[in-house]
Amino acid sequence: MSWSLIPHLLVAGITNGSIYALIALGYCLIQNATGLVNFAQGEFVMLGAMIVIWLHNGLQIPIPIAFPISILLVAAVGMALEQGPIRRSKNRDILTLVMITIGASISLRGASMMLWGKGARIFPSIGGDSPYIFLDAAVLPQSLWIMGFSVLVLALLYFFFHRTLVGKAMRAVSDNRFGAALIGISANRLTALAFAVSGSLGALAGILVTPITSMSYDGGLMLGLKGFSAAILGGYGSVPGAVLGGIVLGLMESLGAGLISSAYKDAIAFLLLLAILFVRPAGLFGNVHVRRL
Amino acid sequence: MTEIERKEDRNTTRIAFVPSNWKALIAFTAAVMVLPAFFRNDYFYFFFNILALNAIVVLGLNLLIGSTGQVSLGHAAFYGLGAYISAISSTTYHLPLFASLVIALALVALTSFLLALPTLRLEGHYLVMATLGFNIIICIVLGQMESITGGPSGFPGIPKLRLGPWIIATDRQFYYFIWSSFIVLFTLTLNLTGSRVGRALAAIHEKELTAKTLAIPTYGYKVATFVLSAVYAGFAGFCYAHYVTFISPKTFDIFYSVQIVTMVAVGGMGSLWGGLAGTALLTSIPELLHQLEDLQVLLYGLILMAVLVGCPNGLFPAIATFVTSTASKLAGWIARRPCESSSANSAKGEGRGFQPPAPESDAPLPRRELRSTNGPLLKLDGISLSFGGLQALSDVAIQVQPGEIVALIGPNGAGKTTVLNLISGLIEPGRGTIELDGLRLSGLPPHRVAAAGIGRTFQSVQVFGSLSVLDNLLLGYHKNGRCGFISACLRTPAERCEEEGLKIQALELLESFGLAKPALHSVRRLSLVEQKILEIARALALSPRVLLLDEPAGGLNPREGEFLMRHIEALRNRGMGVVLVEHDMNMVMRLADRIYVLQQGRLIASGTPSEIRKNPLVIAAYLGSRKGRLTAESAEKIKG
Repeated sequence: MSWSLIPHLLVAGITNGSIYALIALGYCLIQNATGLVNFAQGEFVMLGAMIVIWLHNGLQIPIPIAFPISILLVAAVGMALEQGPIRRSKNRDILTLVMITIGASISLRGASMMLWGKGARIFPSIGGDSPYIFLDAAVLPQSLWIMGFSVLVLALLYFFFHRTLVGKAMRAVSDNRFGAALIGISANRLTALAFAVSGSLGALAGILVTPITSMSYDGGLMLGLKGFSAAILGGYGSVPGAVLGGIVLGLMESLGAGLISSAYKDAIAFLLLLAILFVRPAGLFGNVHVRRL
Repeated sequence: MTEIERKEDRNTTRIAFVPSNWKALIAFTAAVMVLPAFFRNDYFYFFFNILALNAIVVLGLNLLIGSTGQVSLGHAAFYGLGAYISAISSTTYHLPLFASLVIALALVALTSFLLALPTLRLEGHYLVMATLGFNIIICIVLGQMESITGGPSGFPGIPKLRLGPWIIATDRQFYYFIWSSFIVLFTLTLNLTGSRVGRALAAIHEKELTAKTLAIPTYGYKVATFVLSAVYAGFAGFCYAHYVTFISPKTFDIFYSVQIVTMVAVGGMGSLWGGLAGTALLTSIPELLHQLEDLQVLLYGLILMAVLVGCPNGLFPAIATFVTSTASKLAGWIARRPCESSSANSAKGEGRGFQPPAPESDAPLPRRELRSTNGPLLKLDGISLSFGGLQALSDVAIQVQPGEIVALIGPNGAGKTTVLNLISGLIEPGRGTIELDGLRLSGLPPHRVAAAGIGRTFQSVQVFGSLSVLDNLLLGYHKNGRCGFISACLRTPAERCEEEGLKIQALELLESFGLAKPALHSVRRLSLVEQKILEIARALALSPRVLLLDEPAGGLNPREGEFLMRHIEALRNRGMGVVLVEHDMNMVMRLADRIYVLQQGRLIASGTPSEIRKNPLVIAAYLGSRKGRLTAESAEKIKG
């Protein structure tokens, strides 16, 4: 084992961690708006990438145009999921609603397999594939894109939630849905918006990660679950927790794979998930939920 | 009474293991035995064998969902563990089949126990994700440990099943073996759901916190159910491995877990017969759509979503309801009778009015043993509690003597309900101690507190809507039963006997509260006052030493309130301590021996009703005062 690997592992960890953080943020938004765990989050990631692949490789649409189209389409899918099955469910029991998102996730995966086949696909990265050397670490341009976009998204989300009226209304809804409704905020509309934003965050994560790892119809499952682990790690529902949880998970996974065994790389995230549930279920940033009887 | 007794007679069988609806089970068994007459080739046997294996896993998952209200997406992993562990121990280590089975089930039970321990402690949907993660880990491990599991290419050469001298080699032999196993497991599960434990599990599913205050160890029950449910899957995995003799990790991936969950959802979550129907339907779909293999995943997803959105209680229960309602409509139309005159409506609370009996002093309540010390019965000392930055209670001290009714009053948000939640163990105090007759309650989990002798009711009435009136009351008697999971599954004579004993007690108690008539009706049909009385009766069934009543008169009209008051007075005469939180001052002044007044988490006064009525601080707290801020300070002075 050579310690010269460490800088590479750190870069890879932060890169993957940023992706997990984006996905974890999606979970977080929907959790805060509705109290649901959205199992289709991973499928948003997969769809975002598959749509770009389809637009770029199939229809020859240049990548800078394909990106926003894909993000908007997945946002629409997210909104449709909320407006359709979840809104229309006769039973408002959380268990039923969560299971509906499981159903949605399987349907999206199945539809994607029907449309685009089973093979893994890829599209070229924006800045080419020649790495920059930075302090002994080879940094791919795509890694820089990923980190840059993650920081940008965080800044935008911060601005949205703290400086705009809609964002503040959304925080109000997640704090007290009934109270928000009483002062004239349409909780329904904001829930739909949360699903849309969540969908576009997922799509962005998928688009950013695909040039490095490629994507197939079932690639969303693993990414979605790792994003969820990151969200739990940080404290479910907490925005800074989601970001930090993502980065920590990415680093641990990359160091674990590089220094211990790469065969069990995927198992690390879930062992971490189980360990967190065992030791500190509230996560790094979560607080214990107080319930009124 | 007679109607109920007759019904009881019909349901009670003295033979162990025979479930109450044995007729349906016998019909089903006969159908399973006759079915092969219609099989044209071995493929049919194979199909029905796979169906039975799925049905066993579904049965276990159904039990889990029915009792915890949580879903596992990791049952494929337990199925796989059962298969692989038995395959390895019987093939690699040449252990006898029975030993392999025992090892496999023991290891499955152990892993599921370790997985359940942290996750079932939490609320929310951690279990789904934890089991999903677990399934993925197991699949990775099975694929990676090639030297032990054979890796992705699979594990060949597993010996066939044998029962004593007989080898179960053919599809046909396995058919009879696996369906017999299924029927045995199905019977065990039916027995369990119909028992005292099963009733507690249904209560946990519906309102876990309320179940805790009825002395039901909810966490332990949930963990036990999860382990049992995983063991079912492990057993199915064992049978599968020794049936097909070749296993590979792909069989046990997430998609199988999802299929199983879909079968449960389509059949109706928590309904055992429905689960069987759902399994039959969804196992046959891939067989019918052989050419469209790629469509399967999409189809599963769409079916799952459509059923959950359209008929969340499951497709088959929905069909059954539709058929019966149509049939009764038709019958009603033929008899030229309007539907409204059915018996359902005449039983409604508001329809017939509630006719309360006078409280009797010799109502069938078990009496508590004598006191061990001479101090106060219930003693709260120096209780402080804060939620985040909010100081909810500071330095509260309350004492209740036996046979004393203590009222806790104060403006909204003063912390009255919080005090009750602290006593019943739903919240832990930040500082201070709670003692019941010398026994320290603070720090005990709610079900232990309830068992120690604290009964309570809730501000908004908490009854179990899916259960009958009698079953609701029987939950209060839960701690009087001794029979656990095993005797419940086996439906032993001792278990039957115990259950009958509890029923007799419960019916007597219902009688004394005037609720015997609707005993077998759904609790949803009761009026509010009846539900409140049932809730009090249920708390009394615990034979508590202290009863906590949270706004019993809330939402009742004066006549109903009067009736309730007479019952509470009767409790005092039995030597029970009562803590009463109430806004109705007439009731408080008439009933209470002593009153504590809470304001913003502090006790500002205590004393007899006449003292409290004159206390200037109390008047200020209720009516407001020009020196509102000063009063709180002067309260400190008076107390200090």
